[in-house]
Amino acid sequence: MDQIALTLLNGLSWGMTVFLTAAGLSLVFGILHVLNFSHGGFLMIGAYLSYTIGARLQAGSLWQFLLIALACSVAVGLLGALVERFVFRRLKRVSESYSLIATYALLILCQGIVKVIWGIDFLSVPPPSELGGAVTMGDFIAPSFVLFVIACGLVVFAIMDMVLQRTEVGKRVQSVAIDPWMAGLVGINVNAVLSWTVVCGFALAGLAGALLSVNQSLSPSMGSALIIQAFGALIVGGLGNIRGAFVASVLLGLITSFGDRFVPDVPGLFFFVALAAILLIRPQGLMRGLR
Amino acid sequence: MTPSLQASGIYKSYGPVSVLKDVSLNVAPGTTHAVIGPNGAGKTTLFKVLSGEVFADRGSVLIEGRDASARPGFRRVRDGVGRTFQVARVFGEVSVLDNVVLALEARAGNPQSSAWQWLGVRAPAALVGEARDVLATVNLERRADDLAGVLAYGERKRLELAMTLALRPRMLLLDEPMAGMSPGDRVEAVELLNRISQEMAMSILLTEHDMSVVFALADHVTVLNYGEVIASGAPEEIKASPLVREVYLGHDHA
Amino acid sequence: MNPNSISTTRRADIPIFAALLLLFLSVPVWADPGLVFLAGVALVQIVFALSFNTIFGLAGMVSFGHAAYFASGAYAAGLMLKGSDPSLLQALAAGGLAGGAMACAIGTVALRRASGNYFAILTLALAELLHIVISKSTMLGREDGLTGIVRPRIDLFGLVTLDLTQGTTLFYLLLVLAALFGLGAWLMWHGSFGRVLAAIRQDPDRAAFLGINVHRVRLVAFSLSGMGAGLAGAMYAPLAQLLTPEVAHWSYSALPILFCLLGGTASYWGPVAGVLVFLGLEHATRNIVGLSEIVIGATLLFVVLAFPGGLAGGISRMARRRKSVVRQVATRNPAAMAASKEVDA
Repeated sequence: MDQIALTLLNGLSWGMTVFLTAAGLSLVFGILHVLNFSHGGFLMIGAYLSYTIGARLQAGSLWQFLLIALACSVAVGLLGALVERFVFRRLKRVSESYSLIATYALLILCQGIVKVIWGIDFLSVPPPSELGGAVTMGDFIAPSFVLFVIACGLVVFAIMDMVLQRTEVGKRVQSVAIDPWMAGLVGINVNAVLSWTVVCGFALAGLAGALLSVNQSLSPSMGSALIIQAFGALIVGGLGNIRGAFVASVLLGLITSFGDRFVPDVPGLFFFVALAAILLIRPQGLMRGLR
Repeated sequence: MTPSLQASGIYKSYGPVSVLKDVSLNVAPGTTHAVIGPNGAGKTTLFKVLSGEVFADRGSVLIEGRDASARPGFRRVRDGVGRTFQVARVFGEVSVLDNVVLALEARAGNPQSSAWQWLGVRAPAALVGEARDVLATVNLERRADDLAGVLAYGERKRLELAMTLALRPRMLLLDEPMAGMSPGDRVEAVELLNRISQEMAMSILLTEHDMSVVFALADHVTVLNYGEVIASGAPEEIKASPLVREVYLGHDHA
Repeated sequence: MNPNSISTTRRADIPIFAALLLLFLSVPVWADPGLVFLAGVALVQIVFALSFNTIFGLAGMVSFGHAAYFASGAYAAGLMLKGSDPSLLQALAAGGLAGGAMACAIGTVALRRASGNYFAILTLALAELLHIVISKSTMLGREDGLTGIVRPRIDLFGLVTLDLTQGTTLFYLLLVLAALFGLGAWLMWHGSFGRVLAAIRQDPDRAAFLGINVHRVRLVAFSLSGMGAGLAGAMYAPLAQLLTPEVAHWSYSALPILFCLLGGTASYWGPVAGVLVFLGLEHATRNIVGLSEIVIGATLLFVVLAFPGGLAGGISRMARRRKSVVRQVATRNPAAMAASKEVDA
């Protein structure tokens, strides 16, 4: 029973990790209809920044950790603004396939930059003191960080869903996503919405990177691993659909976690098996996208 | 005689919106059948169902008596149905002649039309000759060596027709063949279609907005409104029908 | 020769091919063994890039996981060459088949939705799956990979024996293989199958309504491309004598994309130019960690933003388009403008 609960918890945590990565990705896709490969690269930069700042400030407490995460989020958001200005705007004129290649190129560039600045050795970020231990829940013990990740995922989803569905700003974003021409006609500043949404998407990448930096060893290739999983969640959930991404992330997380118990030698295998299986059965994904 | 095309009880919905309700029509061999109706009547959707671009939710499509309801578009082409698009689609990066050559190479029953064909670096002279003949049928032989992307709109439509004819169909599905054409082009196009219909004993189904074209070409007319067939018969009957007039109120037609 | 015919570049192709052949033939004469090795790698990458361009430049499909087929072929060949009585011919055949089979399998899943985004993600994800499996597989040496791959001796009809442990001999053999492959791919590219692929790239719906089974043709093209990539991998195995999971990594998949874009996707020889330029660049920057990624990434980004068709293709297409726009303006029909938005009735 304990084992199942732990697997469940791990699955949820895994799923939330994927969702945190996929959230910003989904936002950018919904509005630009471009799959941003470099999202993984910027997430990675967020994680490495968190490492550097944390090491400098000798940060130990949870609040410091969260503040650093916010700082990384802003920093990456600013980088994202630059990328949006100089790259993404040009991509409007370029065909879909080539846009993909451009963002792919950006990802490789990020990887190179990380290698140059931080080197190729694995780095690790010590967890804040409050999250280092475990919490006793009834009969079994759950690692605090696992619970923290789940909480982060839920909070981020709740905020995003609320903003997009209930606020004026969110409605503008949705209308630009569905029909930019029409949105422009009714007076929405489409370009501003596009730019800000993309910046938010990148900021989310930075946030996710910083928050998740504790859970894994940092290496220049972490960006690609996470981005592929996020893509999977996006496709299964329906492109451009945040709720779908959430559901898909959780689903895939649970399947992978339970699957890993059967095939512990190849962790993460079930993710791809599930991805392929779901797409063979239902190619359009689980839920319909914004588009 | 077996109709070239027979649609029975076609229903099609997109989500909650019901676009086609119980639509049936027959195209007798060698005749031209026009489908008309106001915007939003479902003409395009019906056309897509007949050509195999989408499948109906209910109902059947028979091509020369054989059930083609579940056959995708490319198989219906091999069954003998040729189809043009509302906005003429040709391969813009290659020459006019090569467009037709492509169609000939793709033709079912053509010994070189299999996907496994590797070699044949240059299309055989016989094929190129046939391509030129087809172009002559639509009066485009002068433009054979020009890039298809450069053609004027009317010529592009004719090229598309040529490509479709190259497939040697027994039935043509034309999606608003006169759309975007100047009056002069239209007259020529009507002449061309009449000639094709008679010389090749071709069955034709077309959707159209232009009534004068419909009356010049069609042997039989089906009128759609809000996804249902409201009238079907010879052009004169349709012209005289008060129901049809009411539906078309506002259209400049006596 | 009709300048607008599909079979355009035929006259220029022969001298280009001859020039390349001569260039490569001359390498062992003036280069040190290190450069000969690099030239061998270039030949391998040329086969890889040409295979990739079959589906990229010709058929318009962007696969992000082509390293999977290269790796399949490389490891298959590597395993065969490490066995008893290694035969290069068998290894090459195994490599090609492995690459083709893997591409067929992945293509079957990925082509269900051949639209750019879905296809990209699926090819990437499934390639990554293979990467994970390879790096965890004990039979394939895990992270350390396959080492000690043998360069066998070849007995040609009992008349001549080729000792492939000699770098130069192996290089010439690779050159022969690459040249034969280049010839075969050229024939396919310019034959009716190549024409069908080009049609599918320009307008898949129009192609479908010419009676072409677009899905099947794409799958066949994809499998053939995988076979070529597998062959390239099989050529790489005896050359490098060491294979690591890196050859299945997603960044390895970026290489053929880069080669094709750099050199131009529209021309048959574009990828070859791309390989030569890129390997030159990489050789120059190899000593600084991370620099090669920065160079690859920046170059790829620059080429996409500045020249969407690659250097060669972009220029020629720009010239054509200017000509066609001029003509079209002269003959444009105002009614056509109104009709150009499809009426959904």
